[in-house]
Amino acid sequence: MSNEVTEIFGNCVQLSSIGFAVITEDGVVTCANSTFCEMLTISATEAIVGRSLVEHVALHFHSTIADLSQALKCPDAANIQLRLERDSEPLALQIASVDSGRRMLVAAKLPKSAESTSLNIFSHRDPLTGLGNRALLDEIIAVWQPRGSEASSLALIMVDLDRFKQVNDTLGHGAGDTLLKLVAKRIKSASRENDTVVRMGGDEFVVLHTIGLQPIGAESVAKRIIELMSRSFLIDGQQVNIGASVGIAALNFGTDNITDLLKHADLALYEAKAAGRGTFMFFEPALAMRAVERRNLEVDLRRALGLKEFILMYQPQVNMTDGALQGFEALIRWQNPARGFVSPSDFIPLAEEMGEIHAIGEWTLRTACKEAMSWDGNFSVAVNVSPIQFENGRIVDIVRNVLASTGLSPERLELEITEGVLMKNFDNALKQLWAIKSLGVGIAMDDFGTGYSSLSYLNSFPFSKIKIDQSFVRGENSPKSRALVQAIISLGENLEMKTIAEGVETKEQYDQLAAGGCLAAQGYLISRPIPTMAIADFISNLRNQATLKSDKNE
Amino acid sequence: MNEPLYKLVYISRNEIKGDDATILHEIEQILASSRRKNPIANISGALMFNAGCFAQVLEGPHDDIQNSFERIQCDPRHSHVVVLSFEPTSRREFSNWSMAYLGADSTASAKFGGIMHESGFDAELLKADRIFDLLKEHLLEAE
Repeated sequence: MSNEVTEIFGNCVQLSSIGFAVITEDGVVTCANSTFCEMLTISATEAIVGRSLVEHVALHFHSTIADLSQALKCPDAANIQLRLERDSEPLALQIASVDSGRRMLVAAKLPKSAESTSLNIFSHRDPLTGLGNRALLDEIIAVWQPRGSEASSLALIMVDLDRFKQVNDTLGHGAGDTLLKLVAKRIKSASRENDTVVRMGGDEFVVLHTIGLQPIGAESVAKRIIELMSRSFLIDGQQVNIGASVGIAALNFGTDNITDLLKHADLALYEAKAAGRGTFMFFEPALAMRAVERRNLEVDLRRALGLKEFILMYQPQVNMTDGALQGFEALIRWQNPARGFVSPSDFIPLAEEMGEIHAIGEWTLRTACKEAMSWDGNFSVAVNVSPIQFENGRIVDIVRNVLASTGLSPERLELEITEGVLMKNFDNALKQLWAIKSLGVGIAMDDFGTGYSSLSYLNSFPFSKIKIDQSFVRGENSPKSRALVQAIISLGENLEMKTIAEGVETKEQYDQLAAGGCLAAQGYLISRPIPTMAIADFISNLRNQATLKSDKNE
Repeated sequence: MNEPLYKLVYISRNEIKGDDATILHEIEQILASSRRKNPIANISGALMFNAGCFAQVLEGPHDDIQNSFERIQCDPRHSHVVVLSFEPTSRREFSNWSMAYLGADSTASAKFGGIMHESGFDAELLKADRIFDLLKEHLLEAE
């Protein structure tokens, strides 16, 4: 190239509205045009030449330099986005090798409006909604600096859609995507101009709310979002209704450290959902404590089987016509050295959520069958099975395997299920129930009368037994409860299903049920649940009583 | 234009607070912006209102109705939007977009009557629709 051409080029570069700079292998600026200096608020070219670009950025701006230093270290050409300040327009930086070691930087201002259209250039956008993504949120949080009164005005509002999955499942993923786009717009319209709205993934969104008095400002945004999400959408010619739950964490309002905002908002969201959805919750330190407690309980629960902290207790079931012992219901007990006795109502729901119920359920079944083999007499053993155990399709094999390995006669085993088993994936559950029945095992419908008590469930499968829930038995002296109990008993008679009342505590209840035609009973009146080693005594006591009775009668 | 047409009917609660002058001002603004936007958005229909309630019929191509509805849903001047129907329709019943005050309050009727004439509201067009009686009932109940 002739000197003249080089000079013309040099002038062009100097006058260009695009920023140019050349840096050495070590990241030191050797030359830069005035536009480049302007973009990086460098007073004059001389002020930057001979100095490290990364250091300059780190020194003068509240931005992360990770992307920049990474790109400069790597010899490949790169396109990165450099946002010097949180609210400033981002710079598009193109980095290319000039010759051995030297790199050329081309910088252009990226208008805010163009951000969403340059989807693939930068990694901070959610392509579906055009909102920012998780990476953008992380970066903004990382560079956020309190400025004056803003010190107490940063809130993270986490939004999770309710019933989004149903829309996807029923109207298809196309409709789901359209919904997410409309949701994104509505959330933007509910947030303030300076807020950052990002899609975290799936149906989860975050609004980083920076202006206004916290926590009141965040609360009004949250309320507005919930309100807007509850309003109908029109998608693919259909009316679609969803909802939203919101968790909020605000800096200096329970959250001291900015890096905890996301975690705390998530915990608050969890609470909002547990509180019945369609509502918002603020994070408070008690939530974190509860989460820690829950986590600890989870850890203990996962270890409980290995540490042999579970035992089974057996509650006797008697025939109401002659008072003869029929069998026992196996009831799980968790005895933890630190916690003491943990009620099944406290750990079973958690075990179901964790999936640990599969292992606990299998252990219960195996132990109950094994222990039943040691009893003197062919008494039946009833084992509770969770709906979750029907979900992975292994329950039939487990029952078959347990029967084979323990040698228990299938007729002695009865599985107690609740209607929850049939509520989820009806056909699949029914198939498994028939397979278990074909092994010769009985299936009892537990807790009947509470929940939905759908008669169609009773119609769909020949249950061996209907268990009348103890809440009705306890209310036996109220005319309403009596009528309900009577109705269940006659249902059982007509469907040829045996009825058993649980929670029988008084002689009156027992007599009333017996007179009404109930076939069997269990409860404190007969016996509390007893450990397996006490069963031999219980049986012989019962036999002695029976002998005494028959002696008297003779 | 061969795009399939849809018709949307909804009612909502009027959240415009203030005296009649304020309400009239807001209503005039709605009329002005609707007149500006709706023809561009291929939307025709009618909006009826009184102090308590809005009732609206919108017709147009699916995506245009969707867009307008999103704008409507985020409008703070009303709340509790209830969609009464959203269905494909064979032809437009309204050639343009109009508004009318519909209520038993005769003073208000007189005040807002101008809007009806100015916007060319034609109750005859609505009467053909069985949903009109329903809308009228809602409007009168909400007043």
